[in-house]
Amino acid sequence: MSISTPGGPERRPTVVSTGKKPAAGRPAPGAKAGSGKPTGSPRAGGKGPRKPVTPVKVSQGRAWGPIALFVAVGVLAAGIIGYGAWASFQGSKPWDKRANAIEGIVNIRKTDKASLEYESHKSGPLTYKYSPPVGGVHNAAWQNCMGDVYDAPIASEHAVHSLEHGAVWITYRPDLPKDQVDKLASKVRGVEKTLMSPYEGLDKPISLQAWGYQLKVDNADDSRIDEFIKDLRVNASVEGPTALCNTGITATGTTPRELQQQQQPTQ
Amino acid sequence: MTAPATTDSEYDEIPAAPDEGGRAPASRYGVLALAIMLVVGLLLGYAGGLLTPRLTRPGDASVEAGFARDMTTHHAQAVEMSLVAYRSATLPEVRQIAVDIATGQQGEIGAMQTWLREWGLSPTGSNPPMSWMSDGATVKDGLMPGMATPQQMTALRNAQGIEVDRQFLTLMYAHHLGGIHMIDAALGATDNAEVVRVAQTMKNTQQTELNNLRQLQAQAKG
Repeated sequence: MSISTPGGPERRPTVVSTGKKPAAGRPAPGAKAGSGKPTGSPRAGGKGPRKPVTPVKVSQGRAWGPIALFVAVGVLAAGIIGYGAWASFQGSKPWDKRANAIEGIVNIRKTDKASLEYESHKSGPLTYKYSPPVGGVHNAAWQNCMGDVYDAPIASEHAVHSLEHGAVWITYRPDLPKDQVDKLASKVRGVEKTLMSPYEGLDKPISLQAWGYQLKVDNADDSRIDEFIKDLRVNASVEGPTALCNTGITATGTTPRELQQQQQPTQ
Repeated sequence: MTAPATTDSEYDEIPAAPDEGGRAPASRYGVLALAIMLVVGLLLGYAGGLLTPRLTRPGDASVEAGFARDMTTHHAQAVEMSLVAYRSATLPEVRQIAVDIATGQQGEIGAMQTWLREWGLSPTGSNPPMSWMSDGATVKDGLMPGMATPQQMTALRNAQGIEVDRQFLTLMYAHHLGGIHMIDAALGATDNAEVVRVAQTMKNTQQTELNNLRQLQAQAKG
């Protein structure tokens, strides 16, 4: 309010004068206000008693104070709300948006959703449309994916089941130099929901798989590998973050294995 | 601030009464101002309510998020070794504590994953594991304190008879010690009530289990 009124001393008289009877002390403050805002006095200036009307003009002037304040507060509020909306939009940018932003990633969930659908678990060797496969029907047993680094090829029929549980499966051409293999292994070891194995017949040195996603790169130093793992590990799980990666098949070999009959422990 | 504004204009209207033109706009402004102020106030309160949890909840690089992510990894291995023991251990008491640890820690993984989801964070972080711990506990070959090596896990899986019990008890004892170390680091660095509550429960549980594991170690030796 004080911002809108020209000055403190001028504001006080108007408040005081309005408290009194209109006729009494009018002339003086009226004149002051009138001198301040010439537009007010001509309209009011007709009869003697009309002079007190001038404060109305003052009050009109003063009304801009609160209005300006409210506009300012309103702008501030809009800013806060706008910031909140922006922050929530940016902050909760979903993992799939981030994954799709990775250059060269193939989103099979979008391009070929049907290839990921299946009725129920199927035992024995299965054929897959993509190499390495990124989803679809699989064996009942999954490949152990507790950061397991396999030194020989594994059965896709198990690995696809691991993908369904949210694992990222790193595959590489068997002739990939050892230092690159080690580099990849360091991203896997000790990290649950990851597994890694050589894979015959890859068209690129390295291929990464999550359920419905694939990224092929030439080099273990490619920063997109970390992006892929960060965005899709656990997140791509079809069964949520608590789907198991343990109690899976830990053996290598591309021939899928049947689950063993539970052996009762000998007492 | 509202009160003076409205009373002022009301008083001002008294002298204005004779003049028919003056009164209506002044009172309209007062009401309008009050209405705007109410709406703005409500919006501000609403925005504040919306933003407060967002601004106060743990961020991507926070101790709480680091703890939730890394303890999930740590727990996941405890679940793995416990399920091996549940399946293959010889002593019924060992199989009993194994299934207790497996289901208990898997449940805690679920709780921690729910935190991350509620905080709007990914279950996977951009910071390296253990970077939230101020005492600089190291990750060796990708393994957090107390975690078993791939060789130890393979040996446990391939073990037969009472050897399963013995290996499991040794590995789980070390695992719990490492786990408590991480829990203590989190307890010392967070004041998030829910995180403190769950971390404290974890610690109490694991400390009791350490005693039970030690007792079972003696039993499995004989």
